[in-house]
Amino acid sequence: MSGVAVKVDRLAKNLGKNEVLRGISFEANSGEIFGLLGPNGAGKTTTLRVICTLLQPDAGSVGVLGFDTRVEPQEVRRRVGVVTAEIGVYPRLSARENIAYFAELSGVTDGELNSRVGAVIDRLDMRSFAGQRAESLSSGQKQKVAIARAIVHDPPVLMFDEPTSNLDVLASREIREFMIESKQRGKCVIFSTHVLHDAERLCDRVVIIHRGKVVASGTTADVRGPNRDLEDSFLDLVGAR
Amino acid sequence: MRAVAVVFKKEMLEILRDRRTLVAIALAVLASPIVLSVISQVATRTATQTYTVGYTGDVPAGLDTLLNATGLKLERVDDPAAAAKKQVDLGVAFSPSGIDEYYDPSRQSAQLAEVRLRVVLGQFDAARVAAALRQKGVDPSILNPLPVTPHPLSSPVQAAGNAFLSFFLPYILVTMCLTGGLSAALDSSAGERERKTLESLLLTPAPRTQVLVGKILAVSAISLVAALAAIASMLLALTQLKITAGTHIGLSPLAAAVMVWLAILLAASFSSVTLALGTLARNFRQGQAYVTPLYFITIFPASIVLFIPDFNPSLAYYLIPILNAVLVLRDAIVHDAVAWPALAVTTVSLIVTGAASWYAALRLFTREALLVKS
Repeated sequence: MSGVAVKVDRLAKNLGKNEVLRGISFEANSGEIFGLLGPNGAGKTTTLRVICTLLQPDAGSVGVLGFDTRVEPQEVRRRVGVVTAEIGVYPRLSARENIAYFAELSGVTDGELNSRVGAVIDRLDMRSFAGQRAESLSSGQKQKVAIARAIVHDPPVLMFDEPTSNLDVLASREIREFMIESKQRGKCVIFSTHVLHDAERLCDRVVIIHRGKVVASGTTADVRGPNRDLEDSFLDLVGAR
Repeated sequence: MRAVAVVFKKEMLEILRDRRTLVAIALAVLASPIVLSVISQVATRTATQTYTVGYTGDVPAGLDTLLNATGLKLERVDDPAAAAKKQVDLGVAFSPSGIDEYYDPSRQSAQLAEVRLRVVLGQFDAARVAAALRQKGVDPSILNPLPVTPHPLSSPVQAAGNAFLSFFLPYILVTMCLTGGLSAALDSSAGERERKTLESLLLTPAPRTQVLVGKILAVSAISLVAALAAIASMLLALTQLKITAGTHIGLSPLAAAVMVWLAILLAASFSSVTLALGTLARNFRQGQAYVTPLYFITIFPASIVLFIPDFNPSLAYYLIPILNAVLVLRDAIVHDAVAWPALAVTTVSLIVTGAASWYAALRLFTREALLVKS
């Protein structure tokens, strides 16, 4: 494993009157898949949104490759790619145009644009539909567009927020393979999911969040402990068994 | 500033592929010629319309010929007052002591027939008086001791044409600057939330101010194109229709320059306002509900010239957005001159309005609640 890519330190965040995050801390490294686990409403998405600078921390701090999200948010955004469960694409643009738009906004220069976009299209096997308008694409194809636009600027940190929740078995499998490939390329991959079975198969280390607090962290084996799987461990941790 | 150009290019591409916006612009371009064509036909029909005059008594000699020649057809009736309610347009009772006239003011045909009858009777009376005076060896000009010879300093026909333009052109300019880019503005703001693309957009390192400026420029551009296209089609239609026969209808270079400048300011201001309102909305439909009041807010000042043609306010009135643009454009068309202080105040007012709306849009665009609620 390489060095720390994302450092979350005593992070707290309120949304309205809801105390969503209550002082959570963890570190995710380059070259690993780090699982951010917990039930729906635990605070996983809010954590990711703070890391990628969409939300500001109320207390604590978040650093991405040495850049504080509060002080240098643009530098953080240059180094982060995010794939969410909600696959929003511009329907009247083609898949290629969607990717190129985000590449340009992410600072890819005109000279590099075509080669970068072409490389991502090849890597995700999108040639057959790259010229089609996004409105005519399937959910799996749209998810590939969403991944492509998140990685086209080659960010060292990739975050996946419930990326397989709307996809069929084949498309989900491709996403998982892509995460493994990214890890092998030395990226820091943060995988947020409530599907503990997926996390168990993919993650090197995990943190389990419950009601805005970290209830367990460590390698997947450490957190599983003597239990049959992560799901049993989670149920033990939250006292639901 | 690269992000401004990138966003502008992408927004224009999407707008040009959006049937809603293209259809709205096409309808706007077609609307003016169609409306003017209808007005022309109605005006022509009204001028050549024959009205029926129900009468009793003996018609003075020669008057019947004069009435027929001016489109007033005589028809004998039993009771002119009763007939004027429905059967004929006007009722007249001729008697040796004079003429009793009956008409219903709530009927437009009665009003028009009444005016026409008055004109004919005036001419008939004047001719009879002149003939009687001549018979007695008196020069009829004695009845007109101070004859007036008019010397109009500009063409009355041209003035009428300018007055027509000064009514309609500001109205079309204001409404098209608003509606031409409305669909694009909502698509670019509320549409981002509805399609779930907003989060990905805000995740890019592009400065949000630049993203917003790119969007405003694209919406302004399409509003401007819509407004100028609608006005061009209206001016073209005016040259082809009978309504302006014999009249040269067109904008002077000065009025055209003022109009383009005002169109730019209005388009930029409206784009900022509609983008700000669209950013508040969670989807396109909600955005439409938010911008609907804008129609009423803009149409009132835009149509004030229709109701108060001689409205000549103090300079302070030029601080009121939209009204100021309408007044400046009206003066440029009617007088072919620009009151520079009024134009300066108007420019500052519209720029301040646009800047305030842009700032509001930026604040809304960057607030956390935008993402949390979406």
